[in-house]
Amino acid sequence: MTAVAITGLGSVASCGHGRGALELALRESRVDLVEIDRDRGFHLAASARHAARAAVTDLSPWLAPAASRRMSPPSRLAAAAARMALEDANLAMSPGAEDRCAVFLATGYGPSSYTERILEQVIREGPSSASPMLFTESVANAPAAQVALLERATGANVTVTQLEAGALHAVARGAQELVSGRADRVLAGAVEELSPLLHAILDRYHALVRPGRGGEVARPFDRRRSGYVAGEGAAVLVLERAADAAARGAETLANLEGWSRAFDPSAPPSGWGERPERTAAALKRRLERAGFDLGTTDLIVSGANGSRRGDRAAGLVLRSAFRGATLPPVVTPAAMLGAFCGNTLGAAVLAARGAGFGPTPGFEEIDPDLGIRPHDGSPLPLPRRVLVESTATGGAAVWLALGRPA
Amino acid sequence: MASCGRVAVTGLGAVSGFGWSAAELWSGLLSGRTAILPAARFDTRGQRTHVVSEVPSLPSSFPPDSARSRRHSRADRFAVAAARDAMAQAHLAPGTPEVGVFFGGSTAGIAGGERFLEALLSGSAGRVPLGLLAAQPLNAPGDAVARAFDLDGPVETVSSACASGSLAVGLALRSLRAGEVDCAVAGGSDALCSLTYSGFNALRAVDPEPCRPFRADRAGLSLGEGAGVLVLEPWERALERGVRPLAELLGAGASCDAHHMTAPHPQGAGAAAAIRSALEDAGLDPTAVDFVNAHGTGTPLNDLAEWHALTAVFGERASELPVTSTKGAIGHLLGSAGAIEAVATVQSLLAGLIHPTSGEGPVDPAIGVDLVLGAPREVGRDAVALSTSLAFGGANAALILAGWSDRR
Repeated sequence: MTAVAITGLGSVASCGHGRGALELALRESRVDLVEIDRDRGFHLAASARHAARAAVTDLSPWLAPAASRRMSPPSRLAAAAARMALEDANLAMSPGAEDRCAVFLATGYGPSSYTERILEQVIREGPSSASPMLFTESVANAPAAQVALLERATGANVTVTQLEAGALHAVARGAQELVSGRADRVLAGAVEELSPLLHAILDRYHALVRPGRGGEVARPFDRRRSGYVAGEGAAVLVLERAADAAARGAETLANLEGWSRAFDPSAPPSGWGERPERTAAALKRRLERAGFDLGTTDLIVSGANGSRRGDRAAGLVLRSAFRGATLPPVVTPAAMLGAFCGNTLGAAVLAARGAGFGPTPGFEEIDPDLGIRPHDGSPLPLPRRVLVESTATGGAAVWLALGRPA
Repeated sequence: MASCGRVAVTGLGAVSGFGWSAAELWSGLLSGRTAILPAARFDTRGQRTHVVSEVPSLPSSFPPDSARSRRHSRADRFAVAAARDAMAQAHLAPGTPEVGVFFGGSTAGIAGGERFLEALLSGSAGRVPLGLLAAQPLNAPGDAVARAFDLDGPVETVSSACASGSLAVGLALRSLRAGEVDCAVAGGSDALCSLTYSGFNALRAVDPEPCRPFRADRAGLSLGEGAGVLVLEPWERALERGVRPLAELLGAGASCDAHHMTAPHPQGAGAAAAIRSALEDAGLDPTAVDFVNAHGTGTPLNDLAEWHALTAVFGERASELPVTSTKGAIGHLLGSAGAIEAVATVQSLLAGLIHPTSGEGPVDPAIGVDLVLGAPREVGRDAVALSTSLAFGGANAALILAGWSDRR
């Protein structure tokens, strides 16, 4: 496969913006939560109260206020992260380059606050009250379209919606666009907005960790995990063919060496399946078909986030895939950054560069069914290959293989 | 990674305003009738238009709901029904390994979300079953297909508004060529809901009458619902399985206008780029194209921009190329439009007939298109066809399909 380089990372997360803030939060195991607005009465009395919301209030360094005013919250997050990524890659769009720039962006729930607002208009005031501006920005592909508008990216523009796994799907497809020669650069990643309504709904599904013993702490892979902390943010990568990146003297953050994708059809729409062996076998087979040897993995960046069933599925898939071998160290960025914010992807890029990770917050006791002890903060060897995994609600599963730059 | 050469279409499925089968879609399109009728499923008072193309009630002959499918949204049901037909035609058994699902959609089960929010706002949330939300995520229809037919994936959902279905078919092509899957169930599904109905009315993008693609007095689109599914697989694999290919998927292209969130580029620059990209992907010169199944929504801006795009790619030949649009017959299926149009295009190639473009009135003199009107027009069964999809946010997609031919 033509080598694909990741040369830029833009990030907006609960810890702030940019890869510096992300790196610091992961190293210090910092969990930055804010209280969610429960005033609308959507939440149950015992609900979760906190979330890892995007902590950047002023996006003007990356997004002009005049443009921002026309955007929904996730469009703003995506546009700012994309600009950050391009700046991080030291990449200016030269004339003509825009035709060869593609955008592959994922979102799980789309622009949830604008969707809520337009639906509320329709419900309370009748169908003819709907605002055209709200409608335009309520579509799932609004963030990707706004990124393209701002960056004049006239290559393929694709919005992937596969819940937690969307970010990795988007990166894999973006890389494929480069390998096939249909694009020269790709902006790929994910964005998620966390509205109070979405938070309340996730809580009603018992997906979120609620106040109780130890507080609202997600405990990935812990025996007593009881849910995740909902996250918000955006992570956008700049992808280029490695030869192109080298030719322009760009710093490579990580190399994308392969990917594989599968689905567990036994999973219910709001849950996870019971056939981890089959999913693991499919993922492993497809990754090996792409020329990647799983045995060369020395760090796993897992999307596990404290979900009881989700972490179980992720853990059993990993256990099955690495059967007969020692499971490499596992880091779980969602313990710090929340679920559904795209920044597990950002953390994975930093991991491939050898970023330090602090101990997994809240982890106390190994789940005997999984036997996975997430990273305890001890120094990690500089990884040669990092496996990034996402085992999503509903059954989708994606792996990416990242390599440390030479 | 293994790679395949030619990609065959071996199965078709469709659910539309004409009914729950691809056969009903095709007979409806050939007849020149329209399935755009007064809306029955929701309140249209105070709106610009009162007509839509709704999928009729499920036939009693359909398999009963399984326990797992009881929470299916309409979009899920359309998707599963279309996939069932497509897989049956392709002789693709449930549980076949290495089959991926590539799906497009823009609403999924949001109608359930609308009911949930209504209950929440009225304060009766405690009595509202969360099950209303089970099919809300945009990935629900594609996931439902994989679940219904025990497919181990990958499952990948695209939600790029009205280009979603074509993009999904294009991504399936990429995955087949890359050897990621042995076979693909590709398509899209969308169901009508208050959000899209109110939103398109708010944009004043809808025609009060059934839409009239490319006509002089066109005044907007008509909304529709339904699903289109194609089974795709390597040509040689199909022959080895004893399955005769229905058509060939030669190429896919995509682009973005990067011009405006709702209005197309006035010269159709993005659409032209997507068409050129698809032709390049197919290894064909524009002269190879025999007819066009256009996006043709019936909005003043879209149809003109699309004509400019055809002119930019095909030059003077643009006015000689037969062009048709499904939208006057079944409305605009949004996220599944590109998928059902790919199905209709394959049906044209199989029958050697281009279906007429439903709608009243003379063709816009500013658009020099050779619109197929009134009766079906003959075309070679080995013809090459272009299908276009142009979306909100400027996302464009194009597919190149060809009839059965040993010559390619």
